[in-house]
Amino acid sequence: MKRHLPKWALAAATSVATLLPASLPAAEIEWLQWFAAEDPTGFYDQLVEDFEAQHPDITVKLVTQPFGKVRESIVTDNAIGVGSDVLGLNMPWTTEFLDIGILEPLDDYLARDDNSFATSDLVEAPIGKIDGKTWMVPLNAFPFVMHVNMDLVKRAGFDAPPTNWEELSEQAAAIAALEDGISGLGLPFSSQPPSNGPILTFLPLLYSNGGRIMDGTTPNFDNAKVVETMEFIKTLNEAGAIAPGAASRTGGVDLEEFIAGRTGFLISPGVHSSAITGRNPDMDYTLVRVPTNGTNAYRVHGWEIGISADSRNKEAAWTFVNYLLSPEVNARVAKASNALPGNLAALDAVREGADDTLIKQMDILSGDTPVEEMRQSPKAVASWSLMTEELQSLLRGDQTAAEAAAAVQARWMDQIK
Amino acid sequence: MTRPFRLLTASGTPYLFLLPGLVILGALLSVPLYKVVEYSLYDNVIVERNPTFVGLDNYRNILGDPGYWSAGFNTIVFTVGSVVGHMIVGIGLALLVNADIHPRARTFFRSMLVLPWIFTAVVVALNWQLLLNPFGLINYILDWLGLISEPLDWLGNPDLAMWSLLLISTWRGYPFIMVSFLSGLQTVPRELYEAADIDGAGFWHKFWHVTLPQLKPVIFGVALLDLIWTFQLFPLVWLTTGGGPGRATEVLSTLTFRLAFVDFEFAQAATVAVSILIISAAFTVLYLRNEARRL
Amino acid sequence: MSRIEISNLVKMYGSHQALHGIDISIQPGEFCVLVGPSGCGKSTTLRMVAGLETISGGEIAIGDRVVNGLRPKDRGIAMVFQNYALYPAKTVRGNMAFSLKLSKMPKAEIDRRVNEVAEILELTPLLDRKPAALSGGQRQRVAMGRAIVRDPEVFLFDEPLSNLDAKLRGQMRAEIKRLHQRLENTIIYVTHDQVEAMTLADRIVIMRDGRIEQQGTPDAVFHDPETVFVAGFMGSPPMNLIDCTVTPTGLRLGDTDLACTTPDGLRPGDRVTFGIRPDDIRPAADLPNGVTASLPVDLIEQLGTEKLVHFRAGPHELIGKTGGRVELDEGTAQTLAFDMAHAFFFDAETGHRIR
Repeated sequence: MKRHLPKWALAAATSVATLLPASLPAAEIEWLQWFAAEDPTGFYDQLVEDFEAQHPDITVKLVTQPFGKVRESIVTDNAIGVGSDVLGLNMPWTTEFLDIGILEPLDDYLARDDNSFATSDLVEAPIGKIDGKTWMVPLNAFPFVMHVNMDLVKRAGFDAPPTNWEELSEQAAAIAALEDGISGLGLPFSSQPPSNGPILTFLPLLYSNGGRIMDGTTPNFDNAKVVETMEFIKTLNEAGAIAPGAASRTGGVDLEEFIAGRTGFLISPGVHSSAITGRNPDMDYTLVRVPTNGTNAYRVHGWEIGISADSRNKEAAWTFVNYLLSPEVNARVAKASNALPGNLAALDAVREGADDTLIKQMDILSGDTPVEEMRQSPKAVASWSLMTEELQSLLRGDQTAAEAAAAVQARWMDQIK
Repeated sequence: MTRPFRLLTASGTPYLFLLPGLVILGALLSVPLYKVVEYSLYDNVIVERNPTFVGLDNYRNILGDPGYWSAGFNTIVFTVGSVVGHMIVGIGLALLVNADIHPRARTFFRSMLVLPWIFTAVVVALNWQLLLNPFGLINYILDWLGLISEPLDWLGNPDLAMWSLLLISTWRGYPFIMVSFLSGLQTVPRELYEAADIDGAGFWHKFWHVTLPQLKPVIFGVALLDLIWTFQLFPLVWLTTGGGPGRATEVLSTLTFRLAFVDFEFAQAATVAVSILIISAAFTVLYLRNEARRL
Repeated sequence: MSRIEISNLVKMYGSHQALHGIDISIQPGEFCVLVGPSGCGKSTTLRMVAGLETISGGEIAIGDRVVNGLRPKDRGIAMVFQNYALYPAKTVRGNMAFSLKLSKMPKAEIDRRVNEVAEILELTPLLDRKPAALSGGQRQRVAMGRAIVRDPEVFLFDEPLSNLDAKLRGQMRAEIKRLHQRLENTIIYVTHDQVEAMTLADRIVIMRDGRIEQQGTPDAVFHDPETVFVAGFMGSPPMNLIDCTVTPTGLRLGDTDLACTTPDGLRPGDRVTFGIRPDDIRPAADLPNGVTASLPVDLIEQLGTEKLVHFRAGPHELIGKTGGRVELDEGTAQTLAFDMAHAFFFDAETGHRIR
């Protein structure tokens, strides 16, 4: 017995030790986001370190994933009960996440007196109530804009970027005619995930045409403005102004092609300006509001933050969110991402020393109408996959604009049935 | 201490050490398997806290959905096409790199030809997207050779996308076959080739009458294994075409993912996953039988 | 039936020379056996005749054609391999018919030939079996059948019997010999077994280290060896080969004097290798005219029809023979007789025969 016991006991102990999780310190919170993935400088590590220095009782674990993975991770983590406490969010996900019950309502936290910010200073769109509650707060905000390669514009014989659809189609066609391999405008309508080309390019054009795709929380895709906007891109395509291969062009390729100087115009979030100027400093680059067809409206976008409904450290989580929204910290975050602050009280601090492209974005934000429809749309992600497929078919010439609009509407309604 | 207990501890100690590994491995295999089957019998799993049991309703839905059948058809085209591509390229290259050339050159070619295997799907997808881009290298070469008059959108044209995907899948998957055959080729007795030489067999006759019969068990086993892997292959398709354009390259695995993470229809996704499981299991049984016969 | 002319054949493996100028001339219908220890170059020579190895130098002619550059199938040869090299996926019939099919022979003719050969080799009941279902001897016969159906000018055999057990080997040996009598083809046969060589060959070529030691009829190489190597290689038990000193009256064998005549070139005091086969050393009673000496016998091996007598002469161990019924004591000195008419003398340095 004496000889056998130690071996036996050791084996048993090994099994037990392997199966038991290590106990966690009480105030560790996880922050799942993609922001750090788009920042090569280590800014977010520094941000977390500074927070921990001020709050020695809380540790923050930075969990960084590429944008395309975050939505999936939030859902699966939630399903198996290991969700992060603080979540980086994207407005279009809101309705889906509410259906699953992932998010904690923030109204009680926002109502506190000791917050480092005033709720009225926050960018409006993300904090708008759904089901009577507020679910996320804006870390930063930026409009969708059109990035312009002025070298190509000038080579094509123009001295200023286009301001309206007519000029856009004229200049895009002229740039595409310059030489083989150069195109006027890219449309990233690949089915490859996230397959979100239409909300990157089509919706900004639609909004500048005064159109909408939602009627409250009901899809309203089949309308005259949508059809008109579809016809516009179809005409551009037939004129050879669109980069060939839209149906296989991903958002990433679209950006890379612009940076490499092979497309004249790129419709995408304003934050991309830092990537463009950083990677191709020699380009004669500028950004402008998306050319209008009568309306000065822009698609607003931003990086949002929320708290997980299942978090066991909601107080610590809010302490961290509160820290991120304070005007001083929020200004740092905005500058690091070349975007506008989610807390508009930080606007002046950001404007100080800001470069030309950021000033232009501020002008757009202050003068034009912001639109964000995806956050209240049901099945937002599935819906833009459908848009992608029908737009592919439109550009291929398999259906008319009216048919494509009707098809999206029908399939979308089918989705939410 | 009683004798049986002493026996148990004496002979059981190794198993006790194995226990943690076995428990974890068993749980990792059986829990998801059980969960997926369970999910397929409920409505609104994950999304709802208390999903309702619906029996086989999900199966009825899925089997009545033309999208499922078209994805099934695409899966067959993709799987059979890939396996045939892997076999032809894999065997051909195995014969080439088995040739009697300078050993250093042979090592060089062998290592180079295995390379497609070691890239992750992300890298493969990205590279081929660039190669097959309308402004990419492949269109450039075809244009230069005068084979096409204007660039083709290989991955964006519904008529070409599946072929392009098969090309990529073949490129990515042949090294496994090549390596398997190469080791098989080295077990073919040299005297058989000499006998065939004397009998007057040329290259093709030798391949057909000596190499192929000798490799038949390997071919069958490897083809089945490849079939099982390719049948449920997800990342390459998802990252290259995402099932598009439209649903031209949608296979069962991408349909599962789309149902789960795009549409949040986890129960439907689980149902498709179970259908994949059943077919894969059938192939696996075939494979195991073949292996058992070989031993 | 063709003659085979091998002249000055050289094989190089990189800088290593495996064959040093081999010359063999084989008459039409002759059964030529290449024999020698492993690594002597006999298989290499055969494979060069077959066309399975490239020729580094010299020439091989089969019939009237120099075949150096010809592919194996164009040389008019058929070969039987040591491991049979049967196609495992084909039946016996398929194996035998393969080369005929490749040569586009009409099917009826193929069937006729295969059936005929199968009849000769008693393979008819096995024609539809796969090689895996055959015994070693049956596989060996299929391998021969595959060679015979082609009706080649020349048969090449590469150690065809070495994978068989002793009894089967004896049977197959006889079968091959009968086959040769019947078919009368020219044959080159490689073996390391001197009994096979002796029994089968019209001509034996004994090779060592890539050179020919001696070639000739079995009688010639056995009874008239040119070198000490050939003398020691052929025959079982082997010839006794002893280092001796020449004396005025004969030889000094250890501490025993043997009275005999020595070749003219030898002088008293010369060192010489003395060779005598066991058959030529017998108890004095068996061999009245022999040169006798009393030597200690330490072992008798009974083989049945004869006994091997192991005895000593000073430091040297020798073997003699006697009939299976002769009574002889072990462990005592016996008077043994040497038949010096069949004694051989070899140069102690070069190993060449001194006549």
